[in-house]
Amino acid sequence: MTLSKLLIFFYCFGITLTAFSLNPPELMAGKKRYDRSEIQYSLPDVTLINQNRENLKLQEILKADKVIMLNFIWADCTTICPVMSAGFSHLQKKLGPDAENIWFISISIDPEYDTPEVMNDYLNKYRALPGWDFFTGTRKDIDSVMRAFDAYVANKMNHYPLTFLWAPGHEKWVRINGMVGTSDLISEYELLLDKKPKP
Amino acid sequence: MLRIFTCFALLFFSSFMCTYAAEDSRTVGGYGVEKALRLGERMYRQGLLPSGEPMEAIVQGDIPVDGSMFTCESCHLRSGLGSVEGTVITLPTNGSDLYRDYPRGSEVIRPMRKMFADEFQKDYLRPAYTDESLAEALALGVDSSGRDLDPIMPRYALEDPDMEILIFYLKRLSTEFSPGVDEETIHFATVITDDVPKDKQDAMLRVLETYIRDKNTQSRQQERRAKEGIFYRLEFYTAYRKIDLKKWLLHGEPETWQSQLEQYYKKEPVFALIGGISTKEWKPIHSFCEKEKIPCLFPMTDFPVISDSDWYTFYFSKGYFQEGEAAARYLRRNETKKHSTVLQVFRDNQEGRSLANGYQQTRKLLKQPAPQNKILQPGEIINATFWAGLLAEFQPDILFLWLPAEDLQTLEVLASSAHRPQQIFVSYGQLDESVYALPESVRDFTYITYPYALPQKSKRERLALKSWLKVKKIPLTDPMLQGKVFFLGRMLTASLMDMRRDFYRDRFFEGIDMMVDQDYTIPTYPKLSFGPSQRYASKGCYIVQLTKGPEPRLETKSNWVNH
Repeated sequence: MTLSKLLIFFYCFGITLTAFSLNPPELMAGKKRYDRSEIQYSLPDVTLINQNRENLKLQEILKADKVIMLNFIWADCTTICPVMSAGFSHLQKKLGPDAENIWFISISIDPEYDTPEVMNDYLNKYRALPGWDFFTGTRKDIDSVMRAFDAYVANKMNHYPLTFLWAPGHEKWVRINGMVGTSDLISEYELLLDKKPKP
Repeated sequence: MLRIFTCFALLFFSSFMCTYAAEDSRTVGGYGVEKALRLGERMYRQGLLPSGEPMEAIVQGDIPVDGSMFTCESCHLRSGLGSVEGTVITLPTNGSDLYRDYPRGSEVIRPMRKMFADEFQKDYLRPAYTDESLAEALALGVDSSGRDLDPIMPRYALEDPDMEILIFYLKRLSTEFSPGVDEETIHFATVITDDVPKDKQDAMLRVLETYIRDKNTQSRQQERRAKEGIFYRLEFYTAYRKIDLKKWLLHGEPETWQSQLEQYYKKEPVFALIGGISTKEWKPIHSFCEKEKIPCLFPMTDFPVISDSDWYTFYFSKGYFQEGEAAARYLRRNETKKHSTVLQVFRDNQEGRSLANGYQQTRKLLKQPAPQNKILQPGEIINATFWAGLLAEFQPDILFLWLPAEDLQTLEVLASSAHRPQQIFVSYGQLDESVYALPESVRDFTYITYPYALPQKSKRERLALKSWLKVKKIPLTDPMLQGKVFFLGRMLTASLMDMRRDFYRDRFFEGIDMMVDQDYTIPTYPKLSFGPSQRYASKGCYIVQLTKGPEPRLETKSNWVNH
């Protein structure tokens, strides 16, 4: 075995060990469901378009008098987005009239394919109620929104499940990294309301 | 001796017939075998129970979902071989993988796994499923090793007969390799129709054949590295195949193409079609591929089939249709007058119809009023009198001239007309380089649908193509076409690598569906993107105008229009 082959061997061996260590048993067993953090984000000055072809200046969402639940999805996604969208859909129904206090916002990370018509069909498929908007925009604007939320991925197939919550008067967003169930979202929503600044 | 042989032959034949009859008369979930297979496929792909109701399940512990939202196919894909998306790895659910011990990571690695420490010795993620343990996994989310599956895997509420049908289907999903591949070679064909000029045929074939020749001449290196290199996996070693390209030349009228294709296929069963070229509608070839479930990757056509549901042909774009579509979307956002009078003028040929349909169908989708159409008669001459009459009759605010260059010779008269339209639209696809001859007096109000990467923004990609052609001693005769085939070669290499040794036709396309969006490897389009439901890789158009002066340039008037 030449020296170069020996070096490659140890390099590959190191990668294998790292790979094993990246999947600790507690994560593999699904005990740790998601990571939660509170972060202040600065939203870019971009205009997005929703499933009804209505324009929205993104910064204006912060003028809303509702809690915002926001995620990044794409309509042709195989695995992550369908479950996240089913989660939004179920939460809307589960909360009943209280769901009107939440503005559900999904932002496309595949603006090439996600036209307003595609997004409209998508929301219908998940039986979205009023109060859930799906936005798209130019590639450049979408990239700047992803970057603003520290959610940028160069390739949509590499995206990961993120949900963001914000309440009026708050400076920080709650960032949830990981797949969540309805009860997780309700807990986070209630926690956010408890912390809501008093007028 | 003869009597003994006859007895054995009869015994063998009768036992074979009994087995066959038993399989044939068997019922699965209360249905015959064939019907059960179809119902199982419907459960897997459409999320519908045999009763026609959607399948119901729970994900993430407490989210109820049903088959109208997503299905088994959404994550495990059509082949059942699974997907990788971000942090979620979806394991295979095809028959041959479910019913065998499933390895953790690569099956064989070098150095041998036994050289690792004890904690890395557990080679298998789970033992082979049985029908019972698979039913438990689908219903309760516990695999055959007793491990809880990720909560993202739905836990299905299925009655026993429905479960039996689904399992019956999974057991038969992707179990035998597709035709067109043997131990050493993977066979492809490229379809050429006899209407294509010889120089175009050559331009496509030379690039494609050079790519394949290059790939095949690497075989010794590939084999040596696989045998001797460290950390090469069995999947890669056994996956390597030489590529064989057959040329299927179609003659005569398109109505006869399907039977010609069937004859070719019978004689030379290929794994997939790659490239191919025609100046006529691609529909007969498209239909053949849908019927036989043969993938066709990136044919060179301006007349693809426009469909939301067909799956087996992957086009570069929607061709002329896409220019009409983009024009409609652009106008929806930029129309200056609320109720403009829109007129399309076109000849009753493939180009004219495709452009006009693209515009008209998209207007309808956008809930805009239908345009008026003026279809020119064969031989109808376009001159100043024609224009004067047209403008007086229709008085259009917006005029689409889906016409070839020879029909636009007298366009200048429009500039001084009392009924001059606010905007004229023409197609770059139709006019090509003759667009630069548009008279200066109309450039202010003439807009061009431009479906390609802008020349000023694709210099690097064009240089890469030029350099590659130079190295390969291929003259640059048709940059657009050669650029597309150059890209096809790269994609073919990548998708074959992704497919590894899963030689299933559906898997071939699934690799492309999961591919990174391409915006730096192709000189022809600004961006190509992919996805399981996406069969047109380029999805928009620029709207451009010509600058003034003797050497006009294209100047963008829009972003990439696809919304």
